[in-house]
Amino acid sequence: MKKVTFYIDDQPCQAEDGKNFVDAAAENGISIPSLCYYPHIDPPLATCRVCTVAIGGQPRAACSLKVSEGLRVQVNTPDLIENRKAILELIFAEGNHFCPACEKSGDCDLQHLAYESGITYSRFPHTFVDRIVDFKPERLVIDHNRCILCKRCVEEFVTDSGKKVFSYHRRGGRTEVNVDYELEAEMSDKELTRAMRLCPVGAILLRGKSESRPFGDRKYDKPESQEAIPLTTPVEKPVVPAKKKVVATASLAGCFGCHMSMLDIDLGLLDLIELVSFDKSPLTDIKRFSRHVDIGLIEGGCCNSENIENLEYFREHCDILVSVGECAIWGGLPAMRNTISLEACLEEAYLHSPVTRNAQHIIPNHEDIPKILDRVYPCHEVVKIDYHIPGCPPSAQHIWKVVQNILFGTKYDVIYPEFKYD
Amino acid sequence: MGKKIIIDPVTRVEGHGKVTVLLDDNHRVEDAFFHIVEFRGFERFVQGRPYWEAPVLVQRLCGICPVSHHLAAAKAIDQIAGLDPDDLSPTATKLRRLLHFGQVLQSHALHFFYLASPDLLFGLDAEAAKRNVVEVAIANKDLARKGIQIRQFGQEIIKALAGKRIHGIMAVPGGVHKTFTRQERDAFLNGEGVPSIDNIIDWMVGVLDFMKKYHETNAPWLDYFATYPSGHLGMVTQDGALELYDGPLRAIDAQGNQTLLAPATDYVDHFAELVKPWSYLKFPYLRELGEEKGWNRVGPLARINVSTYISTPLAEAERKIFRDYTGGKTNNMTMHTHWARLIEMLHCAEAIRDLLNDEAILGDDLRREGIQRSQGIGVIEAPRGTLIHHYEIDDKGMITRCNLIVSTTHNNEPMNRAVKWVAQNVLDNRFEVTEQMLNQVEIAIRAYDPCLSCATHALGKMPLYVEVQDRRGNIIQTATRS
Repeated sequence: MKKVTFYIDDQPCQAEDGKNFVDAAAENGISIPSLCYYPHIDPPLATCRVCTVAIGGQPRAACSLKVSEGLRVQVNTPDLIENRKAILELIFAEGNHFCPACEKSGDCDLQHLAYESGITYSRFPHTFVDRIVDFKPERLVIDHNRCILCKRCVEEFVTDSGKKVFSYHRRGGRTEVNVDYELEAEMSDKELTRAMRLCPVGAILLRGKSESRPFGDRKYDKPESQEAIPLTTPVEKPVVPAKKKVVATASLAGCFGCHMSMLDIDLGLLDLIELVSFDKSPLTDIKRFSRHVDIGLIEGGCCNSENIENLEYFREHCDILVSVGECAIWGGLPAMRNTISLEACLEEAYLHSPVTRNAQHIIPNHEDIPKILDRVYPCHEVVKIDYHIPGCPPSAQHIWKVVQNILFGTKYDVIYPEFKYD
Repeated sequence: MGKKIIIDPVTRVEGHGKVTVLLDDNHRVEDAFFHIVEFRGFERFVQGRPYWEAPVLVQRLCGICPVSHHLAAAKAIDQIAGLDPDDLSPTATKLRRLLHFGQVLQSHALHFFYLASPDLLFGLDAEAAKRNVVEVAIANKDLARKGIQIRQFGQEIIKALAGKRIHGIMAVPGGVHKTFTRQERDAFLNGEGVPSIDNIIDWMVGVLDFMKKYHETNAPWLDYFATYPSGHLGMVTQDGALELYDGPLRAIDAQGNQTLLAPATDYVDHFAELVKPWSYLKFPYLRELGEEKGWNRVGPLARINVSTYISTPLAEAERKIFRDYTGGKTNNMTMHTHWARLIEMLHCAEAIRDLLNDEAILGDDLRREGIQRSQGIGVIEAPRGTLIHHYEIDDKGMITRCNLIVSTTHNNEPMNRAVKWVAQNVLDNRFEVTEQMLNQVEIAIRAYDPCLSCATHALGKMPLYVEVQDRRGNIIQTATRS
């Protein structure tokens, strides 16, 4: 094959004529994120669009391009980087990706790409569509909440005897992966495991066998490089700490784990209190703000009217507001109720099952307890949030590095293994 | 027109609570309530999930005691995987116990040093701005350092076993998924990166001495404050010792008469719950005794009350001193819960030392398999008390039903009694109510170390009794379901 010259962001590159553009770029030291592209699937699926680049300003999937003489492609322009990030955020917003409860967490390709792109939150509201978990197969369990319709299982998976088990069903926005139940029932343990591993996310599970692996052993716990990842741009202007900065914290609809994590700096707390003082917080007895606050750290999303009031109260009194942890950032596990009606949740809690005839049904409802919201809302859908620190919970190091940077301009690197959705 | 005093939020507890005190025109207390103001509904959305996800998913109930939920769920899921507690390998059981002791140690340390100590150190007249861990660190750096490091030790045990300090994973159906290495073990014995376990035990003995001295000088207050008779509930071993991981449930009344001794998995036969319109948290009670008499305290004080001895020597010596103070009778003094909590911490530290020296924890027989069953009930003593997880699945492994009774739920009635006590004894008939007086309400609540984050997920499928009250507490309508 003859070598041709092509251009990435106006830089000349060389590769074999007709080579897939993603591979050709990689040969020239330019990595293009891709989720559904695998060299052995030909033609490429080009379903996920995570590898979006542009030719003459027109967006194209990099995996569907082949290199030719003089080809000019834009890859790392600020717009395209932002576009690719947005596509990943949309994938998260479209499905129900509850990373902290997922078996594939840490081994998930979608998560890994989001880490590499430094995604701390989704700018698009999560749709929380009610999707089914298919328990009908003999051995597999298909969780459609997590399926990103990359089509890998449909195109690539065949049994040892060459038969396809997965297919697409319906079209457009209603597309779903279907399982041939008869064929599935005949699959060997090996084939089943292969199908489970093929799925880049946690949609294909093996009954009783799909489990999260120990932390540290998971594929993406140890990255190839220890480089810092492009997080929220650190504040550049160093501020000289003239006086103690004031910190406030709130726990909304969360589990208090993020507050625990803040305390996990252990003896570092004794150093920290030389730099900052605490105002309103569940860790102090200050119930109303007593002064101007530099930074407010919010744990938990909003599940009731009181959370909303409290969050607005914080926004009013804090210069900078930070969402800490999955619940604050997009609702977290409590948002699993968002696919279920509030009525159904409350009925399950307080009314469900036969009650004696003529009985009065009671759901707690009183002037002294707040009203439950129709669903759980992330903080940034309620007030402006300035920074987001993901994790369930984020590690103590991660939280305080970001806070110190925001307050004092202290330079920091959050290395890949510290950045997690868990 | 009467007046309403509101304490909102209740601080230095985990989660969200609020107190209202109703006063009449003459400043007399009419009633007082401790409201749990949040609702998350885990039991509903766990339905429809695969059973093996439960131990990972439900631990998000709580960031302070995730290990308790992880293990309670795991014990239930073991049964669904066809295994009773005795069917697990000794290595798996011991590693889980080690994890649990680490957890109880760190959670108790968090509560005592970070949340409750300001009330004890600074007294009833301290200003709000002073009552927090930062001020403790300034006033008593040595105590703060030890407290921080005791919690750190517990957290590091959890991290070594479960991968991270908060929301780690260790238990899988039928066992655990990771070995504990000799190197990891030795770090805790020798004090590499953390204080050694012997150090922790020494410090705990010292903290208990501090507590006993504190009690000597403050006995009138500690013995009197928010004291009221109640039942007590906790887990024991078959021969009656304090037990945190697995064993039957025992309950006694305020005089020490046994009101329950039953396998924990029979809980459905013995407990029922009450819903009240002014709180999202339900009120459990023993069916045999009814709602008026059947409610129990749970947690450290209750556990010391229902058990006859502690298996580790230093903690047992401390338990005896504690029991002798009440002449061997049941202790109903709310503030003594702090003392009991410290005794449990010493026990945890001793138990951790014993397990670390047990070669079985380094074994590699991690996991057993059995034949799938349709339900599992996991009961454990979480730091705050008896925790019950109950799951049912269909033949494909989908969770069809989930019932959780978290520790703080049992303490709902006791905390409300404590709040009423303070209202009637401190706030009643006062023309001026000070902030310090209101803090006394919270001091009473804090003794129970309530975890309102845990509590706010409870939905429950227990037999239910609902009552509708008017403002004066007169019952105007009732309903039951079984």
